[in-house]
Amino acid sequence: MTDRIASGFHPFVLPFLIGMAFVLSYCLFGMIRIILQLSKEDRRKFFMSLITPKILLKDVKDIFLNCLIHVKLWKRNPVLGYMHSSIAFGWFMLIVLGHIEVILFVPARAKLLYYPIFFNYFVSENETTLRGAVLFFLMDFFLLVVLSGIALAIIKRFRSRLFGMRRTTKPAALDLVGLYSLWAIFPLRLIAESLTADISGGSFLTLPSNWLAHLFMGHELYPLPAWWAYSIALCIFMCVLPFTRYMHIPAEMMLIPMRNAGLKIRNLNKGFAKVEVLSCPGCGVCIDACPMIASRSNVKDCTVYLNRQLRRGNDKRIDQISDKCLLCGKCQAVCQVGVQGPDLRVARRSTRGYGINQDYSNISATPLEKGHKVLYFSGCMSQLTPRIGKAVTAVMDKAGVDYEWMDRDGGLCCGRPILLAGRKEQARQLIAKNTELILASGADTLVVNCPICYRVFREEYNLPGVRVVHHSEFFAELVSKGMLSPQNGIGKICYHDPCELGRGCGVYDAPRELLSRCGTLVKAGHEKELSICCGGSLGSLSLNFSQREAITRNSYADLTVADPDVIATACPLCLSTYSRYADRPVMDIAEILMNQQ
Amino acid sequence: MRPNVVIIGGGIAGMEAAKQLLYLGYSPILIEKTARLGGHVADWYRLFPDMTPASEVIENLKKDIQNANVFLETGVQFINRLRDTYNVMLTNGVSINCHAILFATGYDLFDARKKEEYGYGVYNHVVTNRDLELWFGGNKDVRIPERPKSVGFVHCVGSRDMKAGNMQCSKVCCMTAIKQAIEIKEKFPESEVYCFYMDLRLFGKKYEDFYISAQRDHGVHFIRGRVSEVGENIDGTLQVKAEDTLNGKPLKVSLDMLVLMAGMLCGEKTRELADGVRMDVDTDGFFKSRDNIYNVTESSRNGIFFAGACTGTKTVPETVSEARAAVLSIHNYLQQK
Repeated sequence: MTDRIASGFHPFVLPFLIGMAFVLSYCLFGMIRIILQLSKEDRRKFFMSLITPKILLKDVKDIFLNCLIHVKLWKRNPVLGYMHSSIAFGWFMLIVLGHIEVILFVPARAKLLYYPIFFNYFVSENETTLRGAVLFFLMDFFLLVVLSGIALAIIKRFRSRLFGMRRTTKPAALDLVGLYSLWAIFPLRLIAESLTADISGGSFLTLPSNWLAHLFMGHELYPLPAWWAYSIALCIFMCVLPFTRYMHIPAEMMLIPMRNAGLKIRNLNKGFAKVEVLSCPGCGVCIDACPMIASRSNVKDCTVYLNRQLRRGNDKRIDQISDKCLLCGKCQAVCQVGVQGPDLRVARRSTRGYGINQDYSNISATPLEKGHKVLYFSGCMSQLTPRIGKAVTAVMDKAGVDYEWMDRDGGLCCGRPILLAGRKEQARQLIAKNTELILASGADTLVVNCPICYRVFREEYNLPGVRVVHHSEFFAELVSKGMLSPQNGIGKICYHDPCELGRGCGVYDAPRELLSRCGTLVKAGHEKELSICCGGSLGSLSLNFSQREAITRNSYADLTVADPDVIATACPLCLSTYSRYADRPVMDIAEILMNQQ
Repeated sequence: MRPNVVIIGGGIAGMEAAKQLLYLGYSPILIEKTARLGGHVADWYRLFPDMTPASEVIENLKKDIQNANVFLETGVQFINRLRDTYNVMLTNGVSINCHAILFATGYDLFDARKKEEYGYGVYNHVVTNRDLELWFGGNKDVRIPERPKSVGFVHCVGSRDMKAGNMQCSKVCCMTAIKQAIEIKEKFPESEVYCFYMDLRLFGKKYEDFYISAQRDHGVHFIRGRVSEVGENIDGTLQVKAEDTLNGKPLKVSLDMLVLMAGMLCGEKTRELADGVRMDVDTDGFFKSRDNIYNVTESSRNGIFFAGACTGTKTVPETVSEARAAVLSIHNYLQQK
């Protein structure tokens, strides 16, 4: 291989260089800005993570697996997984192989940024080319891989149902520019390389197409327009990239190290949250996942649209979207990037000023009786579903647990509902008060039957020496210790995973273990992290009753696909929500356990 | 031979209609899904405003319709529309051709278990208005203490409540609660009786007198505010939390017994039946009359008529007058044929 053009330059590389310079400087400045926006503590955490070998290694691994191979997507949908990894990994390999070619054959040009991209134009084949046959083959192979991905992408654009996506996003105008330029890059590259393949050499893809080109266009081929077009397509793509959903490509590479460093969303418009928003690929997987679209409305209130509006800064829509969400967390569970939709919304809510700001710091609370090892907290929601409290205490009595029901006559709120409404200060006051009460009681275990409370106890409370357990976990322990021995005989049970317990706290197995002892567990249409919110969630501030009804009916229908005799749940809010429309008994696991003693 | 008229529902509306049809010389066929006639009124002990025994009303009606064809424990399987008649297929296998059908299907009492926060079916001393009437009538009920010292009445349970799925006012419960409160006071003069209401809708003849008398003569306490939740104390008494919106303060009171004034809903079963002949349901969930001013007893389908609470909540006298009006509509309709 030798240089064909003495200067090693041709004006057609200029569009590419302009695009490249723009996108690199944009990302660099953006990165610096975001790092500067981080709070001092977060910034320290972030830099520390970059010099900790273990975390750094994890960063590299995660970036490789998620950004290039798209492992998570493969698991969920292999066709989509192939589509994404073929384009991302294929393109990556083309760049890497291009550099190897330059270093091997024309090392003198290695410092030229554009050389690997337009390599085939600048070189000509000579007798030593045989050494490069493998590289030529690989180049053609990965080009083919990318092209197959592009072909799938084109089919998906027009027939998304073939890929298992019922609804997909409506792209914005600039997204379409980015999309079409991305589609154009690789076919143009194929044409350009094919037209020069008789000079530069090629492999199974480029050589035959070169032969074909000769067949139609005669002896003289004019490759330059194709190279110009290729370069311009690259330029357009890179120039619009920061303003389209393709920004997720560089953003995710920053998101992964930040998340591994343990950063949390604090301010919606700055720092880490910004990276989260920019990392949204806009694929729309969250639309099908969202329970709110049961009524075929609310599509534009899914996380992908929240991110779009956050990028545009449309305050009115951001507020509407943030308030409407049930905060069930399913969008985050299915998201390939794991964009924290619920946290972004709560962060938005917390920026809002409320007319009245209550002060709970002096709220009165009766001290708890000392001497009991176990405290039972039923929460406000269970006050409205008294059968749960009755069942939980009956089961504990049966097992001989020495406990105190700390909010039997009504206690303080756990703080989660107001936290979800974005009122951090009020929540903090309640949390402080409850913490004081619990610690003063001297108990070592806190049993909570409401997943909403359970989550806040786990995430926001600092209770040294006190183990916080959900009643399903606590009862599963009692059963395994032999202190409870339920009879199997209630029939077919379908268990609904409450959002806060499942996706929120990762408790999936304890309730199932308990229920499988009381009856025969049957499957719901969607289970575990894919379970559909009951629609009663405290998360939503603006969904009205009839909109919720549609959500509840849809979710309920999903629970009854296997025609169970009983619907079981582990959350008082799910229980009362389903009971409203249920055609068969809806019971808390504590009730089932009590009945099966 | 006079044309057949099928009456679906053997409550007071159906019975009164049968009686009037007999007077006019028709042969009414009365279909009742339960084993006895009288519907909800037969569960009641005394009726306001004159404290008339409900059994007296039912027994008189029964005597008057001795000559009618009555099918007890019989439902309607389906109704087919023929050219100008209807074919009604009963669950006992009998098929009837008739010229007119009268829906007197009444209402369902709201299932108070659905308002779980009030503890019906969970706590030992929570009953409904119907349970209390049955007890007044002599039925045993372990939930009702021997000598209750304090009794609460919760108005609007499953009425005017979006979360309970019924936005409508059930109309009679305010008055029923006052009547029952007085009856409780008469039985247990030592007890304290509380009524928790949103607002009192006392529109009928002599209702206001009852309200005044309940306060002045019987000392019933009226508290404006909804009950938020009910808990149970260790001794089995109930702890009721409510808001006194006139004082603007939350309120907590211990009671020996709580009575829930369950509201009236259009029955699910009735609606399924109506689907068969494609009858319209109004926005309030009850059957849709041809219009709600002038033709309340007529449906939008020729030959199908309504009487009583199937088109909306009604009191006993309203239901009886409507049954008579429906019979006149049927008579006119059959005369014109």
